[in-house]
Amino acid sequence: MLKLHGQLPILHAATRAPYLVTVTKNARIPPDLKQARALLMQPGMDPTGFKTILTRGGEKPAGSPESDVFELSGDYEYLDEGDILRVDPSSGSMRCLYRRNSIHNTILLTEQCNHYCLMCSQPPKQADDSCLMDEAMELIGMIPPDTEALGFSGGEPTLYGHRFVELLRHTKTRLPTTAIDVLSNGRAFKDMAFAKQYAAVQHPDLLTGIPIYSDDPVRHDYVVQSRGAFDDTIQGILNLKAVEQRVEIRIVIHRQTVDRLVRTCEFIARNLLFVDHVALMGLEITGFTRPNLGLLWIDPFDYKDVLSEAMAVLNAYGMAASVYNHQLCTVNTDVRVNYRKSISDWKNEYLDECTSCTKRDECGGLFSSSKLYKHSAHIRLFT
Amino acid sequence: MKDLDKPTKSLATTFDSKVFTLIAIKKAAYKYIRVFSADITMQGEQINCQLTFSSPVSEEEGGRLVEDFKKEVLDQDLRERLKAETEAVRNVILAHAFSKTGLITDESLSGD
Amino acid sequence: MSLFQGIEQYQAPTAAYQLLPFRFTSLDQDQYVLTNLAGEYLIVDRRTLVELQRHQLSSTDPAYCDLRARHFLMDASSLIGPALLSLKLRTRYHRLAEFTGLHLFVVTLRCEHACPYCQVSRQSEDTLRYGMSPETASAALDLALRSPSQHIKIEFQGGEPLLNFGLIQFLVQEAEARNQRLGKNLAFVIATNLALINDDILRFCRDHSILISTSLDGPRDLHNANRPRPGGDSYERTIAGIARARQVLGSDRVSALMTTTEASLPRVRAIIDEYVTQGFTGIFLRPLSPYGFAIKTRSYRAYNAERWLDFYKQGVDYVIELNRQGMDFAEYYASIILKKMLTSEDPGYVDLMSPAGIGIGALVYNYDGSVYASDESRMLAEMGQEQFKLGHVLTHRYEEIISSPNLLDPLEESFAYSAPMCHDCAFEPYCGADPVLHYALYGDYLGRKPESEFCRRNMEMFRYLIRKMESDPFVKQLFMKWANR
Repeated sequence: MLKLHGQLPILHAATRAPYLVTVTKNARIPPDLKQARALLMQPGMDPTGFKTILTRGGEKPAGSPESDVFELSGDYEYLDEGDILRVDPSSGSMRCLYRRNSIHNTILLTEQCNHYCLMCSQPPKQADDSCLMDEAMELIGMIPPDTEALGFSGGEPTLYGHRFVELLRHTKTRLPTTAIDVLSNGRAFKDMAFAKQYAAVQHPDLLTGIPIYSDDPVRHDYVVQSRGAFDDTIQGILNLKAVEQRVEIRIVIHRQTVDRLVRTCEFIARNLLFVDHVALMGLEITGFTRPNLGLLWIDPFDYKDVLSEAMAVLNAYGMAASVYNHQLCTVNTDVRVNYRKSISDWKNEYLDECTSCTKRDECGGLFSSSKLYKHSAHIRLFT
Repeated sequence: MKDLDKPTKSLATTFDSKVFTLIAIKKAAYKYIRVFSADITMQGEQINCQLTFSSPVSEEEGGRLVEDFKKEVLDQDLRERLKAETEAVRNVILAHAFSKTGLITDESLSGD
Repeated sequence: MSLFQGIEQYQAPTAAYQLLPFRFTSLDQDQYVLTNLAGEYLIVDRRTLVELQRHQLSSTDPAYCDLRARHFLMDASSLIGPALLSLKLRTRYHRLAEFTGLHLFVVTLRCEHACPYCQVSRQSEDTLRYGMSPETASAALDLALRSPSQHIKIEFQGGEPLLNFGLIQFLVQEAEARNQRLGKNLAFVIATNLALINDDILRFCRDHSILISTSLDGPRDLHNANRPRPGGDSYERTIAGIARARQVLGSDRVSALMTTTEASLPRVRAIIDEYVTQGFTGIFLRPLSPYGFAIKTRSYRAYNAERWLDFYKQGVDYVIELNRQGMDFAEYYASIILKKMLTSEDPGYVDLMSPAGIGIGALVYNYDGSVYASDESRMLAEMGQEQFKLGHVLTHRYEEIISSPNLLDPLEESFAYSAPMCHDCAFEPYCGADPVLHYALYGDYLGRKPESEFCRRNMEMFRYLIRKMESDPFVKQLFMKWANR
C-alpha cells in the first residue's frame, strides 16, 4: 500500500500556510516555473529557486532561503514527475493528491456525509472542511488535461449544492476530455431543480455512481443508517435519468446485503433497466468495516454462487455489469466476462503465495486492508 | 322418469331486478332471437321471462337452453357493469394508442 | 459500535400497510399467482394471500419483504412504489402509440401448393386476376407509410408471393424511394414456400436486405403430408431453398415457421429435431388457427386446447433439455409470453395484445385492394364474413380506414380489462383480446371466457411457464434470457 500522506520532517520553512505544488525531477526548468514546483532532490542538483525541495538527505541544501524543505523517507519512493502535493510548512503534513502515472486518481471533496454506512471506508466527520472544495478547484487547474479519468468523492459531494455544480463546470472547462466519476448517495438529486443544474453543465463524460444496497427499503436504510434514504435515492436516480445523466448503481456485497442480492438485481432489472452500469463490489476492510466486521463479514467464496446468479440476472437483461474487488479464485468462472481489475493501485496487493499463481496478471488482487485484516480463507493458486 | 320426447313450446324463468339489469336481460334475449322469443315483464321486483321456442324442443333441450340463457344474462350484466366501471381507463389507453395517428385533435389527449 | 442502530429502527413504525393494486389467480391447489399493476408476478400460498388482504400479514413473514419490494403492498418505510409502478406501466404501453408497425401485402392468391389448413383458396397459376395491381399496390403503400410508426415492416404474402415477384420489386423500390423523405426504419419480409426461389430473386433480396420467412412443418414425411404439391417434394424444395437463401443472404436473414396440424401433435420432438438439424436457433410452436379450410374441413375441431397443450409442453420441456445439454435453442411463443411476464416491454405480438392487435399492430392490404384489420380478418373474409374489413385502398383515406367502426367497435368491445373474468384475472397483463378469433368461433368479439378455448389455452400456458420457472433455477435463468431476446 502506498503511503499517500504523512508527516515530513521540516528542514526549512520559508512560508506558513499550506499550498498545492507540482512535483518535478528536473532541476533545470525556467526560473518562473521553479517557483511553482517541488523538486525531488538528487545529489548534484542545484535546487535554488524552487518553491519546495524534497530531499532524501537530512541536511538542508545550501542557498535556498525562500524554499520550503522537507525530508522524504523511503515510503515516498513512488513520487514522480507531475504528481501534485499539498504541503504544510507549519506542520510538515504532506498529502499526495494526484499521481501522474496512476489511472486511479480520486479527489476527496469533503468528509461530511448525511449517511453513516455500516461499511463506510471514509467515516464521516462533522467539521467544516469546505477548504477541501477550494483546494479541489485549484487542483483541477493544475492537473494536466491529458488525464484520462478522475473521481470525485467524499463523504457526500452533493452537500456542497451549487458549489459542486461549479466544480463540475470548472472541470469541464479545464479538463474537457477527462472522464469524471462522481460517487454520491444520489439523494440531493431528488430535487429536480438540482438535477437539472447538474445536467446543464453538459459534461461530455460524466458517470454518477450511486449505491443501492437492497430491493428492500428497510434493509437499504439500515445499511446506510438513514431513514428515507431508499426513496430519496431512487427518486434521485429517476431524476438524473430523466435529464439524461449517466448513472451507475453500486452494490457492496457483505452479510447484510448478500441474502437479497439476487432479488436486488431483479429489482434493478425491472425498475431501473435504464441505468448505465451496475457494479457488484467486494468489501474493503477499512473505516467502519472493521468495528462492524461481525455484522458484515462473509467469505466471498461462500457467496460465489449467489454472485453468479445475481450476475446472470443482470446479463440476461442486457445490463452492463461488472464484478469489482474480488479475487479470481473466489468467484465462479461464469462471472469472468464481467470481472474487472478494479482496486486502486495505491491500495492493491497480492498475498505472498500469489506470486506463483498462473492467473496473477488477470486477477484484481486484494485491498491492502484485506490482506492486513481479513480476506477469504479460500485464496488458492491456479496452476 | 321424465318423458324426454314430449315437445316443449314455452318455458319460463325469472330474474331478481335487484341483481340483474333489464338491459342485460334484453341483450341476452336478443342473442337467442333465432331460438326463442322472450316476453319480458316486471312483477314487483321480479323480472319474468316467458321464452317461446321457434320450433318445439324436448324438455331436456329446453332446460339446457334456459340454463344457457341464464349464463348469457349473467355475462351481459357483468359486461355492462365492467364496461362502465373501466370506461376511464379504457378511453385513456385507446386514446394513447391512437394519439399519433392524427385522428385525435384534442391536444390534451395527444400529448405524452 | 453504539453509534449504529439495529435494523428494527428502520422498519415502518406501525404494522399497518396499504395494498397496491393487484390481482390473483390460482396456480394449483394451494398456490396463487399474484400480479401487480405492472404485470410482475409473485407466488404465495393461500394463507399468505388471505392475511395479506386482511391487512394481517406480519412484516416478519418471509413473503412480506418480497411483496413490498415488488409493489404489492406499501408501508411507511417507503412510498416510492406508486411512482415506479406508473413508470413501468407507462413503459408497457409506450409502444401502443407507435401504432401500426406490421403491414401485410397479399400480392397474389395464386399458389401451387394445396395445404389443407391454408385459408387461401387454391388458384391455378394461370388465373391472372388474383394478383395485386401496381395501382392498388401504390395506394396500399401510401396507407402503410402513413402510419405514425417509426418502424415499418412490410411483409409480402400470398398464396405464394414469388408468383408475383415483379410486384414485390415494384413495392420495395417504391417504398425505399418514398421513405427518402420520411426517414422511417423499413424492413421487408417475404413469406414464401421457397419452391420457386432463384438467383435473381435472391440477389434482389440481398440488395434490399429482405428477410425470408418460410414454412417448415417438421421432418419430411410430416411436412409433405401437410403441404401437398405437384411432385410431392415440398420438403426437398424448402430445404434446398433455405440452404440457397442462407448462402446469399446469411443465416440470420432466413427464418422458418411451423404450422401445427393433427398430424403434428404426437411428433413435437421430431419437429424440434428437424429445426435443430436444419441449423435454426429456435422454433415457434404455434397453435392452429381456426380459419379457412380449417373451419370448413373441421380440422380445427380435430383437437382441442388440451391436446395442443400436451404437444406444447412436451415441446418446451424438450427444448429446455436441449439447453441443459449446452445447446442454444429457444422456443419463440414462450419467449413472447415471457417478455410480458419478466419485462416491461411489449413484444408487439398481434394475437396477444389488449387493446387487440387488429389495426393497432397490423394492417392487411389484400390483392384486390381491400383493407383488413389483421391476417385473420382477411381469412375470415375469404370465408364470407367481412366483419373486419376496413375499406378499400382506392376509395378510402387513411383516416376513414382506421376510424372504421369495423375496427373501433371490436377494439372497444374486446378490451380485456373490461371483460368479465379477464378483468379480475392475474394473467390479463400477459394475455390479449382476440376479437377475430372469438367472432369466428363464438359469433361475438368477446366470447364467454370460461367457454373460450383461447382463454383455456392461454391460462394453462401461463401456469405451465410459471411452474417451470419457480421450480427450476436453470429454467428461470433460461427464461430470463428468452424474455430479453
